[in-house]
Amino acid sequence: MALQILLNFILALCWMFLNNDYTAAAFVVGYVIGLFSLFLMRRFFRRRFYLINIWAIIKLLFIFIKELVLANVSVLKTILSPRLKNKPGIFAFKTDLKADWEITTLANLITLTPGTLVVDISDDRSILYIHAVDIDDAEKAISDIRISFEEAIKEVSR
Amino acid sequence: MKKVQTNDVILQTVTKIASFIILLFSFHLFFAGHNNPGGGFIGGLMTASSLVLLLLAYDLKTVQNILPVNFIYVAAVGLFISISTGIGSFLFGAQFLSHAFDYFNLPLLGKTELATAVLFDIGVYLVVVGVTMTIIQTIGERE
Repeated sequence: MALQILLNFILALCWMFLNNDYTAAAFVVGYVIGLFSLFLMRRFFRRRFYLINIWAIIKLLFIFIKELVLANVSVLKTILSPRLKNKPGIFAFKTDLKADWEITTLANLITLTPGTLVVDISDDRSILYIHAVDIDDAEKAISDIRISFEEAIKEVSR
Repeated sequence: MKKVQTNDVILQTVTKIASFIILLFSFHLFFAGHNNPGGGFIGGLMTASSLVLLLLAYDLKTVQNILPVNFIYVAAVGLFISISTGIGSFLFGAQFLSHAFDYFNLPLLGKTELATAVLFDIGVYLVVVGVTMTIIQTIGERE
């Protein structure tokens, strides 16, 4: 992905030199034309066309914002309820993610989900230990994480 | 054609960057055609030459995987576009192939002259790319 962005950047600069026009508008036009030629030759690269990855990153960003709001609302509910009837506990979550940044992103996203918090990561980096405010629905929490976050992160790094 | 196993690392790596720059230059030539030297014909030839560079560095099969296009259809589509810009002038009560232009304020480019001659040029461009690539691929496929 980085290679394709760099190439697109170089192509935009080439376009500016070819047209002898050193303005932001010329750069944008060159970038769009470079994007078009990259799209034309997209099968040339081992990775897929990079705009798809950027779209996945934007989706992940929106998931992050949505979960941030939901988490704070759910904590607010717990604090304001007159009687504490939640059962805290720790459960293990097995992940298939490999790269360092993927695991870090997943851990941070889990921490921001309503009612869960990453406590530790196992030495072989395959299990995340998660503290839940309410352990009763741990199975549901695991499947939620797997569907929403893990898939979104995999989509970015594919 | 005998298949010789060679290690073309340098050629292939340079081609990866150079073919894109040639492609960009061909687009530049295409758009420069109205007020400067350039136009559909040389732009199309230049685009074809960037694909020929790919053919030289890789083989026919790789290029067909990269661009799974039947270039005969490309030429046909180009001819169709050119002819329909000619016929399109009938709709405005003008003679065959008469062209019009006007100035528009586009969001990014500012005041730009948009001419229907560019549409005709796109047709020429596609015909040139299609014909050149068809010739080279048919010759290359023969054993």
